[in-house]
Amino acid sequence: MRRYARALLHDLDAADDLVQDSLERALTRLDNWRSGENPRRWLFTIMHHLFVDQFRRSKRRAETSLLPLDNSEAMAQPAVQFGHAANGEVLNALQKIGADRRAALLLVAVEGFSYAEAAQMLDIPAGTVMSRVSRGREELRSVMDDASRRRAIRVVEP
Amino acid sequence: MIQRGYSERDIHLALDGELPPDDLAGFERWLAANPDMQALAQRYTQDRQQLVGALEGILAEPVPERLSRLAGAKPRAGSDSRHLFRYAAAAALFVAGGLAGYLVAPQFSSATPPLVQMADNAIDAHLIYSNEKLHVVEVGADQRDHLQGWLSKRVGVKLIAPDLKNQGFELVGGRLLPAGKKTAAQFMYQDATGNRVSLYVTRDETGADTGYRVLEERGARALYWLDGGYACAVAGSTPEGTLSAIADATYKQLLEDQKG
Repeated sequence: MRRYARALLHDLDAADDLVQDSLERALTRLDNWRSGENPRRWLFTIMHHLFVDQFRRSKRRAETSLLPLDNSEAMAQPAVQFGHAANGEVLNALQKIGADRRAALLLVAVEGFSYAEAAQMLDIPAGTVMSRVSRGREELRSVMDDASRRRAIRVVEP
Repeated sequence: MIQRGYSERDIHLALDGELPPDDLAGFERWLAANPDMQALAQRYTQDRQQLVGALEGILAEPVPERLSRLAGAKPRAGSDSRHLFRYAAAAALFVAGGLAGYLVAPQFSSATPPLVQMADNAIDAHLIYSNEKLHVVEVGADQRDHLQGWLSKRVGVKLIAPDLKNQGFELVGGRLLPAGKKTAAQFMYQDATGNRVSLYVTRDETGADTGYRVLEERGARALYWLDGGYACAVAGSTPEGTLSAIADATYKQLLEDQKG
């Protein structure tokens, strides 16, 4: 859960807040939990819904106040220690792809859920999961390629 | 057999484990015949490894107390779904194994922490002895007092074989096991249909209190924790809620006995 939250949000405290909110909400809704449902999937579903709510709210806030969204992000503790330069690169690239695609790609490629499971969690058809995952993957690749091209140019023209 | 056509779409399906098994051989042949597509597939595989590797460190970090507290480090009275919730939260917060070895390039993997090693030993021991027909235990449940006394002495911590009748399990007996340079006790239980779960206990010198964690491997799972000088793991292939209920009962009875 923390991995998914962190990869979605790229900010340590915000990500742990999301996990905490999800667990608290899950506790109050234990009765809604259909027995037989995969518990991990259920928790991820709750977390995803909270993330979407949060994302919409912050977007609205950004539109009305015209304040840069990442004011707080600039100060925040980085989500992952970039011990490895390549790690930082791939995680930065991840933040540049669309939130819908990022979520689908993370659930399937990192968390190991099937298209059908991710479809339930995201409340979209499995075909849409498939296309979001593949587009997300293509986007991630091109963002990483752009980054390395920019680096190459910098090396050539100091 | 008619060969179906393949496209870039199938690269994604294959990576995500969604390509029907019957199509795999055809897909591999198609890849081999299309170097561009093969390069693309390799690139995506590499990107995923990098992504999983970059995020892997998060799994190894200690979980903040505010979260582990919510996942239910301490048993409370409650319904079955509460047990399940605690199991699920532990599984979702403290996954060990599972994805850890999966898709991750070797340079990212780190040494197994001792606590996970303990859970791993518990699963090993469970798989070996729960499948034993004639010699499941060294000392049977008919000599419960002797069993408890003997294992307490050899493991170096006060042990009881918890009563798991409320969870539907009867004690079969127990045995002494090596655990690295130390010793471990294993108590074996069985329900009416012959399903077995085992409790694995060693002495913990750190005095830490961890809350529940979960390790799943080779078709079995262990719920494990440190508390009150005990390092415990409950291992079995039973449903998650059952294992969590057994862990709660064990946890409570071990500590009550220690105090009493």
